[in-house]
Amino acid sequence: MAQPLTKDGMTPKPRPVAPLPPVLRGFLWAAIGFIVLAAMAAWLDPSPVSPYLTAVGAIAGWFGAVIGWLLGIGGYEHIVKPMMGFPSPAVRTSGWRRYYEYALDHKVIGLQYLGASTGTFFIAGLIAMAMRFQLMNYRPTLFHYPQDYLNAVGIHGTLMMFTVATVAMVGGLGNYFVPLMIGTRETMFPKASGLSVWLVPLGVLTVAMSPLLGQWTTGWRGYEPLAASDGNGLLYYYMGVFALTTSSLIVAINLTATILFKRTKGMTWNRLPLFAWGILTVSLLNIIWLPEIQTTFILGMLDKVMPLNLFNVFGQPLGYEYLFWLFGHPEVYIVVLPALAIWSEIIPVMGRKSLFARPIAVLGLVFVMLLSGMVWAHHMFTMMRYSEMLPFSFFTEMISIPTGFAYLAVIGTLWNSRLRLTTPTLLVLMSMFNFLIGGLTGLFLADVPANLQLHNTFFVVGHFHYTIIGGMVFSWMAAMYYWLPKFSGRTYSEFWGKFGAIWVFVAFNATFLNFFILGLHGMNRWVSAYPKYLQPENFWTSIAAFFLGAGFAINVIHIVWAWVKGPKVRENPWDAKTLEWRTSSPPPTKNFDTLPVVVGSFYTYGDGVPDPVEMPVAGIDTKDSRV
Amino acid sequence: MGSLVMFGVLWVVGSLLAEWGATAWIDSAPNGAGPYFGTASNLGIVGVHAFDFLVWVAVPIFVFVVLMILFAMVKFRARRSEKVADAPSQVRNNKVFVGTWILISILLNLLIWLHPNASGLEQVFAAQLPANNPKPVVVDVTARQWEWIFSYPQYHITQSLNASGQDTLYMPVNRPVKFVLRSYDPFHSYAHQVDVIHGFWIPAFGVKLDVIPGETRILYLTANKLISTESNPMARVQCSEVCGPGHPYMEANLHVVTGSQFAAWAKAQAAHG
Repeated sequence: MAQPLTKDGMTPKPRPVAPLPPVLRGFLWAAIGFIVLAAMAAWLDPSPVSPYLTAVGAIAGWFGAVIGWLLGIGGYEHIVKPMMGFPSPAVRTSGWRRYYEYALDHKVIGLQYLGASTGTFFIAGLIAMAMRFQLMNYRPTLFHYPQDYLNAVGIHGTLMMFTVATVAMVGGLGNYFVPLMIGTRETMFPKASGLSVWLVPLGVLTVAMSPLLGQWTTGWRGYEPLAASDGNGLLYYYMGVFALTTSSLIVAINLTATILFKRTKGMTWNRLPLFAWGILTVSLLNIIWLPEIQTTFILGMLDKVMPLNLFNVFGQPLGYEYLFWLFGHPEVYIVVLPALAIWSEIIPVMGRKSLFARPIAVLGLVFVMLLSGMVWAHHMFTMMRYSEMLPFSFFTEMISIPTGFAYLAVIGTLWNSRLRLTTPTLLVLMSMFNFLIGGLTGLFLADVPANLQLHNTFFVVGHFHYTIIGGMVFSWMAAMYYWLPKFSGRTYSEFWGKFGAIWVFVAFNATFLNFFILGLHGMNRWVSAYPKYLQPENFWTSIAAFFLGAGFAINVIHIVWAWVKGPKVRENPWDAKTLEWRTSSPPPTKNFDTLPVVVGSFYTYGDGVPDPVEMPVAGIDTKDSRV
Repeated sequence: MGSLVMFGVLWVVGSLLAEWGATAWIDSAPNGAGPYFGTASNLGIVGVHAFDFLVWVAVPIFVFVVLMILFAMVKFRARRSEKVADAPSQVRNNKVFVGTWILISILLNLLIWLHPNASGLEQVFAAQLPANNPKPVVVDVTARQWEWIFSYPQYHITQSLNASGQDTLYMPVNRPVKFVLRSYDPFHSYAHQVDVIHGFWIPAFGVKLDVIPGETRILYLTANKLISTESNPMARVQCSEVCGPGHPYMEANLHVVTGSQFAAWAKAQAAHG
């Protein structure tokens, strides 16, 4: 029976019968909002060249569209009206339609985030395929003008960063699993969370459609002063990223508050699961740095529209670059911290062995978080003063110490374990291999004399694809296979899982190892055409990249098949100890009939180790309580 | 204990073999340029030494982790027929291992920061002192959307062009060259909007420096090899910072020639205007 998760004690109104499905109504209201505000802007600030749509109008209209979209998707009934004293309506709690509506259940929201991330991974991945097709020949083939290609590069990077890399494991898996893992029935701010997820498709569409306003060539970083004179599509790059980062910011606030205040009885900091630690550190990074990049983007936007001359020759041409990387480097740790955390989650379960040096693993996550704000200018060694080179190379190299703690914990756990070589195990080991290459090539880039050659070549592109695909995407896949029985009560085929993992691993390395060689050979970034001598290597890199794309498709198809039609499994197929496995699969709307009480460590194995969880007898009231 | 000895032996042997392979790769070209290529200038030599040293540092780390992954997959693997049971050993901490790990990672990081990073930077900084670059050839480099313009004030060459009218850079070998780098458009000097960041990069020289609007940056460089774009496509001036649609095509040919050839070329260019 439909039960709303509201606490106000009011009798919930039955779910309203909407005249339109919420997504369609959202589109309609967004269109109305856009037209109204764009028209107002065109009336107040007419342009001699464009009577209907101006740069200012495009921005005003966009804000109108955001308001219309969020109200139409459900914000009107679920947030605005209750604020005025109307009772909160119920939300749908069963059927596929609940994923296309406003939701309050963190698991539905988590899957909405995961779906949005996966869909965007597909879109941005197709763009990558098109880019690799272009680079098979030293002369332009698919994109005839460089701006077409450079715009594709920018959209690929922006979508991958802000919708996949920083969202899939945080908004997606974090929303779904953190409340389950810490033993609570809901997140702290379910209403805000239910709305925030709908900013993702909006942001993706904004970025993907941005070329309609004029092509932009800056890539995902939007470097000034080029941005100021570049196509007006950059305005929608700023706006789209603004929507996506706002969404991530709400996730961060919600999950931080949930972890701080909603842990079940006995869930002390020393018992908090590693994945929750990962999400906590990431969320703190998000809370610190996302407002910073949003401010920077607003400055960039104003600089472009006014213009304010903030970042050009009359202002500070490097100002934007410093502000961008001040966020931009913590961003890559936002991407990778959940991945490092998931390693320590999966390996003890699969190895049937206690997590080695757990405090060090947690400290590693925390110190990476703290240090990540001190390394940013290593993206700018070719721009900066000589006096800045030594301190930034120092901090950059030092951050490998806490990053190494993730390896320390996993290696210590692997030693003398009884490792079950399942698909998730395999993917974690592959992720460790790939991220190792990403880290070791980072040594070369952190070294300033070598960086002066390697900067802005394909060596750098190879390096960060090794950390992001190799580290985060492989770990994301590991987590998807690991938690598949939890999502659906079904499991995957071990053969096809391993087949897909090995396929992706081989194709990934064949693609991106070549990037290092290409970079050393003088292949620079952001080029749709290049000197002829680089063609043979680029050709084979592209062939490998197509195999990589196909490999991801194989895994997605397999996971979807297993989710829907895979063989049913028992509720805790891995015999894991963390709390998400202490409820049925898929979990009921309220997660737990009675809230579990934690009495020991989830990561201690061995004969005679008592169960770390006590399930109170049903009927006794166990409210969420902090310890 | 058996696993530990076995792992140790495999690690040492594997690292030695890998180091041997890496050294062969590094030495497969002069100046240790096997994997690196960009060694045709004094700064490129600093870069390649750093690169090669880091390869040697990275190899044992790489072998350690990869071997550990393989070891876990082979030696510590649970047989499929086995019943799922907890591992017999449940060591949750090992102060010696953790302490050694942390100590080594701190020392290794300090090492590579001091050498090759700080030591290499010292050479880079020294190479940029005017006193260490006597009698340089001055080349004024102007980066605009989208062209490299080279002028030689000492030789009264306002824009160095080849026979087809393309910008071209000539340098004498083994003599310091002082590049004076600016980003502005001399043909549209009223349009500050087109002044963007470019990257002055010659791949064969192993060095690049970004050109920032409103700033004049100086790069001292000494070429140590007779090369040209025709003989080695890495010997080219290439913009390395995305600067708009023309970025992929923002390149110019380079010729490193002998002193007498350079003098003859400069005379002919100056006569051209």
